[in-house]
Amino acid sequence: MKTVYVCCGTNCLAAGAKKVLSELRQECAGMEAEVLPRIKETGCSGFCEYGPIVTIADEGENDITYYRVKESDAAEIAQKTIAKGELIPRLCFHKDRNQPVASKMENPFYSSQKKIALRNVGLIDPADLQDYLARGGYEGLKRALELGSEGVLEEMRLSGLRGRGGAGFPTAAKWETGAKQKEFPKYIVCNGDEGDPGAFMDGSIMEGDPHSVIEGMLIAAIAVGSEQGFLYIRDEYVHARRSIGKALEEAKKAGFLGRNILNSGFSFDAEIVRGGGAFVCGEGSALLESIEGKVGEPRHKPPRTSEVGLWRKPTVTNNVETLANVPFILAKGGKAFAQIGTEGSKGTKVFAMVGKVKRTGLVEVPMGITLHDLIFEIGGGIKNGRQFKAVQTGGPSGGCIPQSMLDLQVDFDNLTKFGAMMGSGGMIVMDDTSCMVEVARYYVDFLCEESCGKCTPCREGLRQMRHILTEICEGRGQDGDLETLERIARTMKDTALCALGRTAANPVLSTIRYFREEYNAHIHDKFCPAGVCSKLSVFKIDPETCVGCGLCSTLCPAKAVIGEAKHPYRIDPQRCTTCGSCRNKCPKKAIITERRGENGSKD
Amino acid sequence: MANQEISGIVMKYPQERRFALAAMQDMQRALSYIPREGLELLAEHLQCPMAELYSMATFYKALSLRPRGKHIIKLCNGTACHIRGSVNLRKCVSEILGIEAGETTPDGLFTLEIVNCLGACASSPVILIDDIFYGDVTAEQVPEILSAYCEKETI
Amino acid sequence: MVARIDHKECIFEPGECIVTVAARNGIEIPTLCHYEGLCGLGVCRVCVVEMDRKIVPACITKLEKPCEILTDSERVREERGMMLALLRKRAPNSEVIADLAERYHAPDLPRLTVAEDADRCILCGLCVQACKALGSSAIATVMRGTKKKIGTPYDDISNACIGCGSCAQVCPTGSISVKDENGVRKIWHKEFRLVFCKRCGALLGTEKMLKKNRITDALCSDCRGYDTAEQIHQVLSK
Repeated sequence: MKTVYVCCGTNCLAAGAKKVLSELRQECAGMEAEVLPRIKETGCSGFCEYGPIVTIADEGENDITYYRVKESDAAEIAQKTIAKGELIPRLCFHKDRNQPVASKMENPFYSSQKKIALRNVGLIDPADLQDYLARGGYEGLKRALELGSEGVLEEMRLSGLRGRGGAGFPTAAKWETGAKQKEFPKYIVCNGDEGDPGAFMDGSIMEGDPHSVIEGMLIAAIAVGSEQGFLYIRDEYVHARRSIGKALEEAKKAGFLGRNILNSGFSFDAEIVRGGGAFVCGEGSALLESIEGKVGEPRHKPPRTSEVGLWRKPTVTNNVETLANVPFILAKGGKAFAQIGTEGSKGTKVFAMVGKVKRTGLVEVPMGITLHDLIFEIGGGIKNGRQFKAVQTGGPSGGCIPQSMLDLQVDFDNLTKFGAMMGSGGMIVMDDTSCMVEVARYYVDFLCEESCGKCTPCREGLRQMRHILTEICEGRGQDGDLETLERIARTMKDTALCALGRTAANPVLSTIRYFREEYNAHIHDKFCPAGVCSKLSVFKIDPETCVGCGLCSTLCPAKAVIGEAKHPYRIDPQRCTTCGSCRNKCPKKAIITERRGENGSKD
Repeated sequence: MANQEISGIVMKYPQERRFALAAMQDMQRALSYIPREGLELLAEHLQCPMAELYSMATFYKALSLRPRGKHIIKLCNGTACHIRGSVNLRKCVSEILGIEAGETTPDGLFTLEIVNCLGACASSPVILIDDIFYGDVTAEQVPEILSAYCEKETI
Repeated sequence: MVARIDHKECIFEPGECIVTVAARNGIEIPTLCHYEGLCGLGVCRVCVVEMDRKIVPACITKLEKPCEILTDSERVREERGMMLALLRKRAPNSEVIADLAERYHAPDLPRLTVAEDADRCILCGLCVQACKALGSSAIATVMRGTKKKIGTPYDDISNACIGCGSCAQVCPTGSISVKDENGVRKIWHKEFRLVFCKRCGALLGTEKMLKKNRITDALCSDCRGYDTAEQIHQVLSK
């Protein structure tokens, strides 16, 4: 019997996947028993740029995968591929022109990936426990019950797993600290507050394979000696909460949660706590404050939360992706996990690759892959024939990495040496139409809102950095501004109370370090080379390159482009807001950036 | 009236401080904001200071002390959306509706919010109106998207 | 156990805060959000020192083992100076901050900008803590990030406020306004009737304060002692 997987991850949903799903269900409803397929609604299958995605797999797991599927394609897919196994080339991924590939494994986006945390996402119906069990679900738990606390800890030590939320703290060590504590009750907390803009790894795991997270918590509870868990899920993740909620119900019914689990004498239960819309609640101790029913303000450390946590009791908090790896480690052994990755960073990492790459989406690769391979081999390089400029990793705590560093291997320690960090997996690729000064300003602006505001260096440091960066972006930059920014940044790094504050200046520091000339252009030349800061730039159409197609004129929301067909068009600098609509679509790349000068501006 | 509804929401929860946020989230969903009497009732129920609940209501972005519009427009300003033009969309929406981020239209139909990453980065820029995602939105599409909600009202 | 603070050997009990041990040994570390008797906040970061080459806030960092602490190294001077430079823009009208900034050589950074509605408050939250410690919790922090401020719910009269003025007493910059005039105290948008000792005229507090503490007679503790002594004397002389 064939199985049809319809991806209903957040991105595909936004692209209309539900309609595709219901059309396929309708089309297949009347099929004969021999060809009637199982149709599964799955979580994120990863290749978000090309969604909605439909995979038709036979019993041998050979697949035919279609992309950018529309409602209107459902009938053809049902009649040709599902019923007769025939390929529909136009719906396939094309490697080069006229080279359609049928299977995922032939698709360069998928072929070098290795899935551990995402082992089930896209291949199961997250609402169906049987799917999870059929793929080895809860085997890790069974083994953990046999091994007991010390055995589980040993397996975790062998695996070398480090926290996937950004800090990279060795998971075994954290659990050991928890296990050693003599205060009860102890708590297991899942940090599902994924807030880095551009990151949706954890959201996809919670949506697409919720049981893997629950099983991970169960195993942690056995190691640490806990009977109660909390899954803190950010307010915006409606689907994730629904999915986890359903899974908790199913797990309870099946006896994987509750009292005397699988007759082992071990008891554990978990509940969801909904976030309130605060990025800072992703910080471990702020998260606990939020669970306790207070504002999410981070606590001082020491003491560590594994010693003094929720209601002052020992609490072990782990990231979603970290927990999703745990059942695999117990089922297949820590050594098997440790065979993948680098010396200091074992296993795989899930990345959310977004921005100006051709193939945006969710990928999981062994630690140690180079940035170049991620962006150009898997990601397919930069869209629209533009130039790579930088890749931002680590969210607001991270940094921007320039072209010269693309050969760096990605893991916990390598990028840190160069003023960047791998972070939780958000990877935003930027091209020459992004202004690095504006990117720094964007992150500082974000943090000005999201900082809890408790300590002077973070609250006041961010406020001042926002002020100076805005001055620079609006043409009022002064000599000494970079030195002032760097000085404030150093202070924040040293004196801020929590990790948010201590790393808040990283985007500013890394862009100054690698894109100083761009800052100088803004400050001294009052020019934004990328054409983003509208007070410092204006677009111009190169009359030599323009072929007079007029597309820019139709797209311009400011009615700033004038001309007539077959003649070079012209942009009125008084009206141009450098929104970029024209530049994004000009087939001849005829639109260039110029200093705004004395012509005045719309803004 | 509103008092009974608030009462119903609050009394549902055990008298433990840890349910403060959840109770306020429920009030927010049911009434589109947290009324002052709601905070007062909750403070009594949980035996905790009103000031601390007020502090939470102003700290958490999901909660609002003033009524929100019938339709909440959430404009994603995550990094991917930002570099793919969310700022222009914001200008566009603001111009059409005459409100800035955080404000509600005088007729109570729309509230405009700028939110952090919604997790639909591959479809950036993204707008979420109530529960519906709009992906790959361009400035030209904005008037059409919004007018669909206005039409719903006149029917 | 012994720690070296500014090269001086200082004995300490494990669990004591750096600022306490230093003070006992004649080493002064400036603090703002620290008040004896209240649990340490450690948010203003003015008291930062170097402990084994790590920057830590002296008011809440506990000494657990022998270590090397520097309260006036170049690094500490830079960090402390920057804190005060930043706070000067948050509380431009505070003489306390201006003084500290001068004493600890806060750099003059003309590029820095004054916060909106800035006056004297440095947002340390000591007032909130004091109010909580006394059992009123009439004020709290409001909003977050750069918009954070301190006040009563809705900036309105608070039923929980008893007008004790503890908030003003602990405030390091005198940012909270308390006006006692004509037997009335004005604080946090509210007016309170003041009660004076009927014997000597000393200020006892507000009516609400006395009510909360179940004091029914308007006598200060000295005068009450006198009163009680007189009563006993009367009984004994019968």
